[in-house]
Amino acid sequence: MATQEHELTVDEVMAEEEREAEELARKAREARDWRPSRQGVVARFGVLGLLLVVVLAAPQLVPDVYTNLVARAAVYAIVALSMNVLVGYAGQVSLGHSAFVGVGAFGSAYALTEMQLPFPAALVMAALTGAVGALAIGAVALRLKGLYLALVTIVYAFFAQEVVFNIRSLTGGGAGQPAPRPSYLASDLRYAYFCIAVLAVFLVFDWRLTGSKGGRAIQALRDDERVAASWGINVTSFKLLAFLISGVIAGIAGGLLGSIEQVAVPLDFGFSLSLTFLVMTVVGGAGSRWGVIQGGVLFALLPTLLERAHENFHVFPFTAIDATIEPAIGALLLLLTLIFTPGGIAQQQAHLLAWLSFRRFKDVRETTGIAPGGMGARP
Amino acid sequence: MTTILDVILLGLQTGAVFSLVSLGVALVYKATRIVNFAQGELGTIPAFIAYIVMTGFQVNGEPVTDRGRLWIATLVALVVGAGFGILVNTLVIRRLAAVSPVTSLVATAGVMLLSSAMAQIFFEPKARRFPQYVGGGFRFPGADVTVAWQTIVTLIVLAGAAALLALLFRTPPGVALLATAQEPFAAELQGISVSGMRTLAWGLAGVLGALAGLLGAGVFASIAPAFMTSTFLIPALTGAVLGGLTSMVGAVAGGLLLGIVVQAANQINRSFDLGIPGPPQVAALLVLLIVLLVRPQGLLGKAA
Repeated sequence: MATQEHELTVDEVMAEEEREAEELARKAREARDWRPSRQGVVARFGVLGLLLVVVLAAPQLVPDVYTNLVARAAVYAIVALSMNVLVGYAGQVSLGHSAFVGVGAFGSAYALTEMQLPFPAALVMAALTGAVGALAIGAVALRLKGLYLALVTIVYAFFAQEVVFNIRSLTGGGAGQPAPRPSYLASDLRYAYFCIAVLAVFLVFDWRLTGSKGGRAIQALRDDERVAASWGINVTSFKLLAFLISGVIAGIAGGLLGSIEQVAVPLDFGFSLSLTFLVMTVVGGAGSRWGVIQGGVLFALLPTLLERAHENFHVFPFTAIDATIEPAIGALLLLLTLIFTPGGIAQQQAHLLAWLSFRRFKDVRETTGIAPGGMGARP
Repeated sequence: MTTILDVILLGLQTGAVFSLVSLGVALVYKATRIVNFAQGELGTIPAFIAYIVMTGFQVNGEPVTDRGRLWIATLVALVVGAGFGILVNTLVIRRLAAVSPVTSLVATAGVMLLSSAMAQIFFEPKARRFPQYVGGGFRFPGADVTVAWQTIVTLIVLAGAAALLALLFRTPPGVALLATAQEPFAAELQGISVSGMRTLAWGLAGVLGALAGLLGAGVFASIAPAFMTSTFLIPALTGAVLGGLTSMVGAVAGGLLLGIVVQAANQINRSFDLGIPGPPQVAALLVLLIVLLVRPQGLLGKAA
């Protein structure tokens, strides 16, 4: 074997490398130009249509007591999209999302109750307050990286939980601030559909964001800030833009969340909520919008699912499992995900997601998981 | 009338425990480049084991606190702490498929969540009496508050641990630990067992965590599931960052400083009747922001 290698000249090696590069480029072209057959298109549309029907029918199908749970799942999915912009696209860790969401909830509640503004205006207020809350941390993020930033976001979340959310004149103190729904969204069913509609809007927004120049610039920051800067990407602006987008989405999600129970209570927006948000994003698969949405929905439903399973199934695992061990199950899911499929739900479904995106079943190219780039903070 | 001396003494009481946890966080960070969210749990679980040993293996018993039982319980707790640390490394950290600092941060947070959730299930969320090593206290000359002997014990343990760790990094095994952290591949080429070094680091962190747990329980003379995480973890992380994450002396200084700052903030809020909700959180955020904006590497940390 060794003797044969000696006979290769430099030119031959280069030619070989060139051939390999061409082969790779050809495969990439093929994958790009590949179109499903007519049956393939029909089958994909069929499955997508079915999924759409399931989502749209969900608020109708579940018993009335769970209609609010559907709304909550939609809101968690919106929060997951917001987390995804920071964690998945920009590569900035946020453990302060409970603060962003909470600020939005109290902003909206304050506008509804104290200022008597109409509901849409209250949501705008939620978006604005969420943006301000996130930009404050974004400004710090310009100077700090990775782990240091993560720690500052934690302290920020605690600061919001203990201080900002306890200012009685703004948040109503321990009892909370009422956040009534408008008359046209008064029924739980309508409100659930409204939340799903907002989720759809942000889904389209997220899709267009990743296709835009700004979205690509944000993702370039994640991979390597210095390389991005050398391409002429303004690191400061785009990092702040990522925080702004994330804050706006989180704020609106907060406004929606507050109006589910029609009251925003400080206790609901503690630091542990931030952990749940980060866990659901990682378990869903940071960087993949379909993955994080499923993560969000899963963690919104998990406590109730466990409780119902405990009450209704009288066979072994369910008799031992009830809602009190939901935190343990969440943590276990997180650890198993990180160890076996760091790309989370999105990685487990990579083939399925490729097929549903009108690509080949085998054609998996989504990169998910928390990217290592941009995170190497060394003091 | 509360004097500045009183504020400092009260601050040291909690600050000393912050520092012990900070020290563990800084050690793990220095040796493995991981911010360990499970450091608080490395204290809670051994403290519960010590409690069980002291009650004669009853989950809800009354702890027996004669000298012999106390020392045996302490020894068992330290061993359990080391074992828990090594277990976390072996079962989770070493197996992470994608290794970025943030992935491992999330993983340690996962360990923390799992451990505290398990403790909630086994021990139920309620407080249990836990003995102090030395009961009572004494009047510090010129101060109004009583200084608990437990605080003195904590400070002595803290000083000893910090000195030993600072010395460790000057010995051959310590240098090997540092080499492993900076460039595992090159360290391996030099004949250093990288996995052995990481086991050592996590084992030491576990012992430190157990010490913090045993002494932290003494501050309130009681333990409850996740008490180290809920009371001491976040201040300790803040203290470690304040001190500069890679510096052992910095971690101790950061923890003590934060203890005093928090106490001072409480006192100022009370004396001037400002009515600010959560003065400790305001003070912690402000101090953290000011220090990190002026010195992003922390008070005693070295710049990259």
